[in-house]
Amino acid sequence: MKKILVITALCASLSLAGQNSSGSFDQSKFIPDISLIIDMSYVNTNVTNDDLDNNEPTSNYGDYGTFKEFNTDNGFNLNYAELALHSNADQAFELDGVFHFNPEGVEVEEAYFTTKALAYNLRAKGGKFKSDFGRLNNQHQHIWDFADAPLVYNSFLSPEGLNAPGAQLQWLVPTPWYMKLGFEMLQSGNGGTYGNDFDKKDGESLYIGYLKNSFDINDASVLLGLSYVNGTSNIIDEDGTSLYKGNSEIYGADVSVKNYFDSYSYINWQSEFLYRQMKSDDTTLYADKEQSGYYTQLVYQVAENYKTGLRYEGFLKKSNGAKISVDASYKTSEFAQLRLQYSHDDAFKQNGNYKAINEIIFELTFAIGAHGAHSF
Amino acid sequence: MKKRIYILLFMFPLSLLANLNIAVTYPYIGALTKTIGGDKVDTVVLAKGNWDPHFVIPRPSLIAKARNADALIINGGQLEIGWLPPLISRASNPKININSKTFLDLSRHVELLQKPLNVDRAGGDVHPDGNPHFHLDPNNILILAGVIKDFLISIDSENKGVYEKNFSDFSGMWKVKLGMWKIKMANNRGVKIVQYHNVMAYFNHAYGLISIATIEPLPGIPPSSRHTIHLIDLIKEQKPCCILHDVYHSTKTAEFLKEKTGIKIILMPHDLGALDEVEDLVSLFDYLSGAL
Ligand SMILES: [Zn+2]
Repeated sequence: MKKILVITALCASLSLAGQNSSGSFDQSKFIPDISLIIDMSYVNTNVTNDDLDNNEPTSNYGDYGTFKEFNTDNGFNLNYAELALHSNADQAFELDGVFHFNPEGVEVEEAYFTTKALAYNLRAKGGKFKSDFGRLNNQHQHIWDFADAPLVYNSFLSPEGLNAPGAQLQWLVPTPWYMKLGFEMLQSGNGGTYGNDFDKKDGESLYIGYLKNSFDINDASVLLGLSYVNGTSNIIDEDGTSLYKGNSEIYGADVSVKNYFDSYSYINWQSEFLYRQMKSDDTTLYADKEQSGYYTQLVYQVAENYKTGLRYEGFLKKSNGAKISVDASYKTSEFAQLRLQYSHDDAFKQNGNYKAINEIIFELTFAIGAHGAHSF
Repeated sequence: MKKRIYILLFMFPLSLLANLNIAVTYPYIGALTKTIGGDKVDTVVLAKGNWDPHFVIPRPSLIAKARNADALIINGGQLEIGWLPPLISRASNPKININSKTFLDLSRHVELLQKPLNVDRAGGDVHPDGNPHFHLDPNNILILAGVIKDFLISIDSENKGVYEKNFSDFSGMWKVKLGMWKIKMANNRGVKIVQYHNVMAYFNHAYGLISIATIEPLPGIPPSSRHTIHLIDLIKEQKPCCILHDVYHSTKTAEFLKEKTGIKIILMPHDLGALDEVEDLVSLFDYLSGAL
């Protein structure tokens, strides 16, 4: 029902463009920037989704892998059609709405206001948005360097990442280099560490803080970030049995060095480390109370339209494998990208044995409408 | 005590200096602003002059540069569309917001050439408002200097006299130069040229050069073999004098064309710093007008 309403409202607002196109009450100049991004893929993997659901949580990797957000099915996938609207609301606020249409329905991916007139280099945001925690959490899938998120992100932050209704305040510190300090309060319960079926009436919040720095050395930009999130976990299994309830903290550190050779080519080395501590004495939890995971990747933008990347990732535990991914992408223009990714994952455990997952993803991403800004 | 004063100076240099701190997108705007503003303004240039103005890298360090600007001057005409909007938003500085009176879009003050009647991305990454590389017509530089003078006066009327004096000095000097460049370029009227991207449109317009083709098959789309083969035929048939090539794209395809047809390749700086010898606005046009 909710989904139908969203679609109706969107169609109504878009059809405004067609009506009154020349009249005394012409509104067409006020149409926001609109873009549509469509992402689809063909996946070939040696494990079934049933296998993935039976991933043994006792594996050293913890509770990752049982669910994914994109490229979920062996065969063809329509990952999403992302409709994004952006405009100034007035002199004080900007408004953004990002909607993911997929065969299952519509999701409000993000819907938030941002202030544009606060003094002292402050900026506030409110609504439902992707948190600025870590290096990747706030990035949309279509600008990722790989077709999937790192395992540690899926495991700790959930496949959707930290993305919930809440409020954000950021301050650009008056240092000669770039330094940003941010604080957020988000509604708990979006999955991952912070529960996949949380009773929102409890009014539990996630408290998130981060400090980001960046400076240039010749044509290289160095980015250094520290992030922290604190909240109450309430992990419930399919039968509704509580598996874990208690306070959890995640600490993140990220570093990247991106060296540009010219306007179109660069090498970027990026790594991130996340450490999670779950504090309750609850013993029913399947995963370890203390876990840490990482990824490290090297991306080479060869030319305007060619890019290739290598990623190595895992969790800090003895005696287990890691996941390695290689991808290459080609763009026919800024608005169409083809990507081929291969990954080999030794982390997966089934019936007491590790089983290697080999996966090939062929992904196509298209954009029409308003010109998106290039990401850094 | 001495130490403490030093720290204060380090933390708040802007509150102690009365100068206007003006952020600009491209080096040529910085040079114009500095010329008109003189010692009353400090300029911060965001883009590098020797790299592609369409693909300025949105480094976080640029946000720090725009953070405490008192004003922002942009080229406009959608040249900055791929990199500037998020930077303005992240700089959290109301003084550089579009529509604030300390924001200036230069493209609003010159006549744009090549306005497309209809735009479609099947025709490439076209500039929907017209060609935005208008500063390469030296006649436009004079108009832009006047626009910047008016802008500086509107935000800092106390120094009106200084800005007017600097403008009239510049204007007198520039008019003499315009005459010299006109004489230098007189023989080139009607000469056919090839480019990589239509960056030189306004320079061509000013001096009557005829751009017959671009190496990129469509705006923003890298060269393709099919288009390059077509160019070989076109060059043989129309006999353009040369390829006026920008400094930031690879000259690989141009070299191939040279090998096949014998056409000359001339590197054309598009902004200050594009080549070592191009240090200011005068040397930019001295170079361009002497290149052919
Ligand atoms: Zn252009």
